Amino acid sequence: MIDIAGVLAANFLYVILITLGGVLVSGSVHFVPVGGAPAAMAQATGIGTGTVQLAAGAGLTGLVTAGAMLNLTDSMALILAAGMVGAMIMIGVTMIIGNLVYVYGVGVPPASAKVDYDPITKDRQDIYVSQGTEGHGIPTVSFVSGIIGGGLGGIGGALVYYSLMSIANGMASADFVGLAAIFAVGIFFVNAVIPSYNIGGTIEGFHDPKFKKWPKAVVTSLIVTFMCAIVSVITIGGL
Amino acid sequence: MSAGGSGGGAAQAIPQNKLIAFGAAGGLIAIYLSYFMVQFAGPAFSFIGALGAICAIVWGAAAVRRVASYGLGTGVPSIGMLALGMGVVATMFGLAVGGIAGPIVAFVTAMVIGLVIGALANRIIGMGIPIMEQSMTEIAGAGTLAIVGLSTAMTGTFMFDVVLTEVISTGYIALIFIAGGIAILHPFNANLGPDEKQDRTLSTAFEKGAIAMIMAGIVSAVSAGASAAPTIVIGLAIWYVSFSQYNKYVVRDAYDVVGTGLLPKEEEESE
Amino acid sequence: MEPLIGMGVLALMGAAATIAGASEDLESDVGSQSNPNSQVQLAPQMMYPHRIFNKAISGEPPSNALMAAVGGASASVLMGAYSMSVVFAIAVGALIAAGIHGTYATTAYLGRSASQKRFRQPIYLDMVRSHVPVMMGFAYITTFCILVVSYLMTSVLGHPFPLTLLAFIWGITVGAIGSSTGDVHYGAEREFQNVEFGSGLNAANSGNIVRKAECGLRNGIDNSWFCAKFGGPATGLAFGMTVFLSGWITTIFDPSLGANIGWLSIVVGLAIILILILWNRRLEVFARNQYGPYKEDEEVTA
Repeated sequence: MIDIAGVLAANFLYVILITLGGVLVSGSVHFVPVGGAPAAMAQATGIGTGTVQLAAGAGLTGLVTAGAMLNLTDSMALILAAGMVGAMIMIGVTMIIGNLVYVYGVGVPPASAKVDYDPITKDRQDIYVSQGTEGHGIPTVSFVSGIIGGGLGGIGGALVYYSLMSIANGMASADFVGLAAIFAVGIFFVNAVIPSYNIGGTIEGFHDPKFKKWPKAVVTSLIVTFMCAIVSVITIGGL
Repeated sequence: MSAGGSGGGAAQAIPQNKLIAFGAAGGLIAIYLSYFMVQFAGPAFSFIGALGAICAIVWGAAAVRRVASYGLGTGVPSIGMLALGMGVVATMFGLAVGGIAGPIVAFVTAMVIGLVIGALANRIIGMGIPIMEQSMTEIAGAGTLAIVGLSTAMTGTFMFDVVLTEVISTGYIALIFIAGGIAILHPFNANLGPDEKQDRTLSTAFEKGAIAMIMAGIVSAVSAGASAAPTIVIGLAIWYVSFSQYNKYVVRDAYDVVGTGLLPKEEEESE
Repeated sequence: MEPLIGMGVLALMGAAATIAGASEDLESDVGSQSNPNSQVQLAPQMMYPHRIFNKAISGEPPSNALMAAVGGASASVLMGAYSMSVVFAIAVGALIAAGIHGTYATTAYLGRSASQKRFRQPIYLDMVRSHVPVMMGFAYITTFCILVVSYLMTSVLGHPFPLTLLAFIWGITVGAIGSSTGDVHYGAEREFQNVEFGSGLNAANSGNIVRKAECGLRNGIDNSWFCAKFGGPATGLAFGMTVFLSGWITTIFDPSLGANIGWLSIVVGLAIILILILWNRRLEVFARNQYGPYKEDEEVTA
């Protein structure tokens, strides 16, 4: 039988880091401007897809780049940075192409309906919102918010993966990579769904009033990820 | 096991408690039966594990149907991804520490995590869905049994050393994750609408579970402990029966099934 | 590894990803998947029955992840257990994935249409016969290209994740990108060509989708013809750029040569992101100047 207390005591730092990673993912989703189904019809500001899916797409891209980096170097900072950049590139490219479609394909200017002036560019927003909609496209403030969200999510995912890969164990390396990666994916999905319930599926970015609800999701994620972290550390450390 | 037909004939809703029993008991019994039959009678019986997964998938689909009808504020898929995220973490843990009790440990762990998420979703996030706790517990449990069942069908065992090398390090766990997850959430999503019927939704769950079973059969070709042919053939049979049944329900429930044609007439005039 | 070989492989991956992105979007336009489908789902309720395919496979990212994971698992089984050649294994894997996708598409159309009985939405069997093979064809191309990307990453670039897991992750990503970019062209423009271009979509028009085509009644294949002009290629560009740029920075500045070079790759990545932010700002300014505001500015404050 596994020495559960011993494994946990030896790897308690990683339990904390995994929990932190999960909380980062959960917080990051609040930054990502997603408009859900209405945004796909240019009826709401943000990216025209679901929160979970977009966060997962960005975070998992970060996981791929972090996984590649972990193969090449031992530096924790570099691995986290690789995860961050990978996720930021994915979400940045998605938003810019999405905006190209809004501007050239649909013919609407990017505009936020939640604020009258863009907090970053100070541009007037409300008169650029077409009648009967809640804004459309991705204005600069949402774009920057999305980049921040992608970055935090990438760091979070990479932190979970890095922590799992740092636990001492007796597995062959291919087995270990597979196990750590699927744990990271599982923990990532749990933490991507929790905040999307918190914001009700749509948010414009950090200027949106809904953004203030983030502590609720973060507390929930803290508890849930802590449980997942203990479970995964025992699993890996005991092998 | 007449898997495809068990939803048949019941016009009224099947109570959730029966589905819980069907999924939890059926799933666990099939997983253990598969394990012992493979041990004592040979790898040909690895397919029983996939039957357990189908039971769990039908249960999970029924639970998704109940909770998603409340409106989650975001797409139906999210809850399935959540379930499988919890499920995969719990499964790895359960199988790694549990030994022969692995599936039960995994099942219980997943339900505890699910219960906590459900409780937090209502208490802290304030979703206000009365059956959230129960549904999250059920969905997490069903997701876990689907993962364990499909793993058993792929390898003939749920002993972690074998699962680790043959399912996890090869990445097939990702296939289990998504094939099991979509099989749980697709049935309700595919039948979404005001005239959705429980039996039709559950027949879709059987059909999608059978597809997951066929994939488990294909993957089991690389495993020494499981044989591919019985799993694939039985999976195809279940798929055929359940798809035919689903098709009957569609014809029964639809406004009209036509080869081709124009739009319904009255609506055309009202334009 | 030779940097030149790395660059060549990366270029091939980028090209394959571009094709995957484009075919993914067109597949979702034929079947009307993801968020724009909410209007197709809503239309019969608003007394607008239609002949547009109604496919909802649990969201675009999971359904593409399923295809990619099925294809990846089948291909690696064929390579492992039967020592099949890579190209053949990937082709067969993609074929299995396309077949499974066909069953999902069929159940989604039949199920969703049957659940709209009270709105008098009929099921047209010729829609299944004509649309499902087209979707399977696009699904085949998508899966094949994602498997090419994943296989090159594992075997040539030495990525530690197994093939099936990488295919799964790229499947999620291509679906997320497709539903965020190309689908907007379908949802916001193609479905609502009956309102003036650039007028935005008033929520009061919800469900009033265009149901008539140049000839006969509009269907999903007509929609993919329209979206192939802009939405599909744009999606391809987005996924191609994601795959290419995220790999490019570490191929040019290889972190295995030292931590400093590794940090240089991060800096270059951040520079790319900065360029994207500036590009987006230019685009925003262009659109605001070109199209102008919708309402007169009553309270001039600036």
